[in-house]
Amino acid sequence: MLVARIWHMLGGGRRRRPTSAQIFRQAQRLRDQGRFEDAAELVTEALMHEPGSVVGHLLAGSLHMILRETGQARTSFERVLALEPTQPRALLGLARISLEEGDAGTCRDLLSRALARYPDFPEARALLELTRDLARNGSTSSAAPAASAAATLVPPVAAAPAVAAPAMTRADALAADRLRLPPESRETLFMRTDATLLFAEPRGPRTEAVAASAVKLARIATAVLARAGFGPLRHAVIEGAAETTYLRMDDAAILTLAFDRDVTAATAVSHLERMWGRCRSELA
Amino acid sequence: MSIAVATRPALGRDLRASLAELVKLEHITGGLVVAPDGLVIAADLPRGIDAEPLSALAATLGRELELRGPRLRRGTFPMAQFASVSGIVFLGSTPVGFIVLLGEPQADTDAVRTALRAAVGTVYRAWAR
Repeated sequence: MLVARIWHMLGGGRRRRPTSAQIFRQAQRLRDQGRFEDAAELVTEALMHEPGSVVGHLLAGSLHMILRETGQARTSFERVLALEPTQPRALLGLARISLEEGDAGTCRDLLSRALARYPDFPEARALLELTRDLARNGSTSSAAPAASAAATLVPPVAAAPAVAAPAMTRADALAADRLRLPPESRETLFMRTDATLLFAEPRGPRTEAVAASAVKLARIATAVLARAGFGPLRHAVIEGAAETTYLRMDDAAILTLAFDRDVTAATAVSHLERMWGRCRSELA
Repeated sequence: MSIAVATRPALGRDLRASLAELVKLEHITGGLVVAPDGLVIAADLPRGIDAEPLSALAATLGRELELRGPRLRRGTFPMAQFASVSGIVFLGSTPVGFIVLLGEPQADTDAVRTALRAAVGTVYRAWAR
């Protein structure tokens, strides 16, 4: 429809219909201007006329990613690779999807393939360095829980039956009492930077996966800070729809506290710093 | 033959203009707008900072927050800030991608977040039309 509209505006019958290459160039311009829906409409129409276009499928993949349509993006990138097996942008696109899905091994393979063909590819190199860092620190998969909780903060008397969930809960309760958790906190996690969980309140079946996710997030944020010319991550504030998570970390440990949105930043940060001091003392 | 459609972007649709306003904030040294696939939509970065690797990683961070958040909950994260001793990265989430701002340690984080929140809201409203 958009092609017809553009063609009509240009005088329709008196001029030749735009070629697919022209339409893809226009779609690229629209994408670069942030007009993603218009660009996607153009690409879909043009691909009907030229289904073997590498540029078209690549654009489609990019636009699906932008519109958060990951499955369709994967299909588009795979079509590109079927036509051109070393197309670097398609390899990068698929690598991104693999990383999002927690499949760091596939991500690394795809990025390595792209870099073998095009060594000067800064985006691929940056992501490859990140995936290697995640692998080194055991946070390659957000779904995979961290190493078993050898809970340093759990008192010896309670640590004996460490595999039994109720005992861990009691241990956490003791630690919570000692650490004096802020009453406003909805969730507290204290972990090593390798995602070994040291303390959690409350603790549930997904707690270790949440800890692994927090570590992965901290690693990615550290990589972003490094690319911006800054040092490693030390503090973070992440606003969600219902709550705000505050993070404090050093080279050895990470503490996260989640508060309702109505708790002021000053109160939350003050709790975070106090808790951080106590947790680090316990760990030392 | 040109097939360009000349339109003036609505408020919030012109992401370059939104970024240009945000980088004027005190102690903000630069920023970029990046699509979820890592494509740079707009960039105004200090000398020596390469846009491509930064945008690739910023998009990864934004998507990680969108998909899992700090508590493995898929959903919105309007805004986040990540600080080191030498600088701060602010990240705002919009339907079309992420607004990234780089700040000095002395940046007024409340003021920056307020401005970023307003910009994110404007983009949301523009894209909802």
